[in-house]
Amino acid sequence: MAEEKKEIPKPLPEITPVTQLFWEAAASGKLVMQRCAECRSWVWCPRPACVECGSEKLSWTPLGGRGRIFAFTVIREVVGRALRGFAGDIPYVTAWIDLDEGPRICSNVIGCPIEQIAIGMPVEVVFEKAGVGISLPKFRPRS
Amino acid sequence: MSLRGKAAIVGVGETPVDRLGGKPGEPRKVTAEYLSWAARLALEDAGLTKKDLDGQGLAAIYTTNHSQPFWPEEAANILGIAPAVSLAGGNGGASAVSLLGHGAAMIDSGVVDLVLVVAAAAPFSERGRTRAEPADTRDFEMPFGVMGPNCKISFVMSRYMHESGMTVDHFGKIAVTARHHATLNPDAYLRKPLTLEEYKSSRLISDPIRLYDCVLPANGGKAYIMASPERAKTLRRSPVYLLGWGERNNASAGPRSNANPLITGILESGKAAFEMAGVSHKDIALLALYDDYVPIIMLQIEDLGFCGKNDRVFFEKTDFTIKGDLPIQTGGGMINCGQPSTTGGMLHVIEVARQLRGEGGARQVADAKVGLATGLGAVNYGKNFGCTAAAILGSEP
Repeated sequence: MAEEKKEIPKPLPEITPVTQLFWEAAASGKLVMQRCAECRSWVWCPRPACVECGSEKLSWTPLGGRGRIFAFTVIREVVGRALRGFAGDIPYVTAWIDLDEGPRICSNVIGCPIEQIAIGMPVEVVFEKAGVGISLPKFRPRS
Repeated sequence: MSLRGKAAIVGVGETPVDRLGGKPGEPRKVTAEYLSWAARLALEDAGLTKKDLDGQGLAAIYTTNHSQPFWPEEAANILGIAPAVSLAGGNGGASAVSLLGHGAAMIDSGVVDLVLVVAAAAPFSERGRTRAEPADTRDFEMPFGVMGPNCKISFVMSRYMHESGMTVDHFGKIAVTARHHATLNPDAYLRKPLTLEEYKSSRLISDPIRLYDCVLPANGGKAYIMASPERAKTLRRSPVYLLGWGERNNASAGPRSNANPLITGILESGKAAFEMAGVSHKDIALLALYDDYVPIIMLQIEDLGFCGKNDRVFFEKTDFTIKGDLPIQTGGGMINCGQPSTTGGMLHVIEVARQLRGEGGARQVADAKVGLATGLGAVNYGKNFGCTAAAILGSEP
């Protein structure tokens, strides 16, 4: 009898009242973040109130989805149990992307040979379906 | 408020570290055993008994693998003492240094005149427990396969190399120096000399972080006891006085959505410690820097003001050995002595105390009168450490 390989799932985000609108927008292919109506600061990750001035007047604001790689790493080993589901993807790239509007987002760089990835590389968002109603914003090189 | 000279370390205790439980069938100890053992060693060192701690202060540090909301109470229960004040170390790896200040404040205010700070963890023996993560990590890092601190500090290191031009040789020098000190420390876990070539050829875990950049997880327990200066004078060990202290949490160098990850909260906590102590950089005989990763040692040296930011030449010229210009990681650091989860940070407080008591043996820094220890905890999204603390200790008040 052929051995059946059970696939280990990757962790998905927990949708909370604070993050719900981000994930709803992502599922429809849009990148949004909170912006403070009082002090104009970008607020990321999502928060109940502005982490700069404390105002609760935050509005979900669309971003262009373009930015540059600020820092990156190549994941070569699984550490711990929670992320065993990524074993089959190794090696893969996680990165900090500085978006053109300012905020820094943590994501993956995909669609590019690892050797070509560099700090400063221009990238653009692409949404990858990860579960029911959940799409993850990932980034690929742009010219 | 200044805590300068208001409290002293009067006893230290460390269990040996091990990695038991990593393999099936190995004998194993649980957290409570390391905790109890470390507390006993510190009490013996101070010449106190556990009865002396009734009505005094107890601080227990939450660990990543064995924490429940009443952990300080459970620690008191394990030890069989009835503290008048329970303090919790909730700052991860920074807790050991944070609690020096919190304990000293309780002592200075007259609430207690002894505080036992104790921590233990058995991540190998108690494998498989689920660990709660901060919401940012759970929702915006783990779904992308961000492989814990290795990955997050790799972002910092990658940017550090990009901005400073530091290379594998700069990081290797620090790793080799720390290991050299570990060879002189009978309590270190990794004691075989490490060459620069061996460092450079160690495998990449999460580029640019390689194996010998990473701390060594372990099981173990550590404790120290603080006392008022008056009480300290009646005890058997030479007191090691708290001269300066600072803590800074959730620091952000720049906007919170786009901070400079190469500046840590040690910039502020270190400055506060120097101001309180009233000593200059020249007075510091040794640095015991929180070292979950090699590049973090370097960022802290910069943030403490021993050199400028991205100061490549300083790292090339300076001799960081015990006989050198600026001794660091004099017992080998956590990278070589092991990190029992958040207990790891205790190592640096204990090492400075040992050096200032002149008990360093083969690794003793000559004429060490003032030393500095740091602690770091939690790696925040898009930045670096959420918790930071720095303390300056001295053999004279």
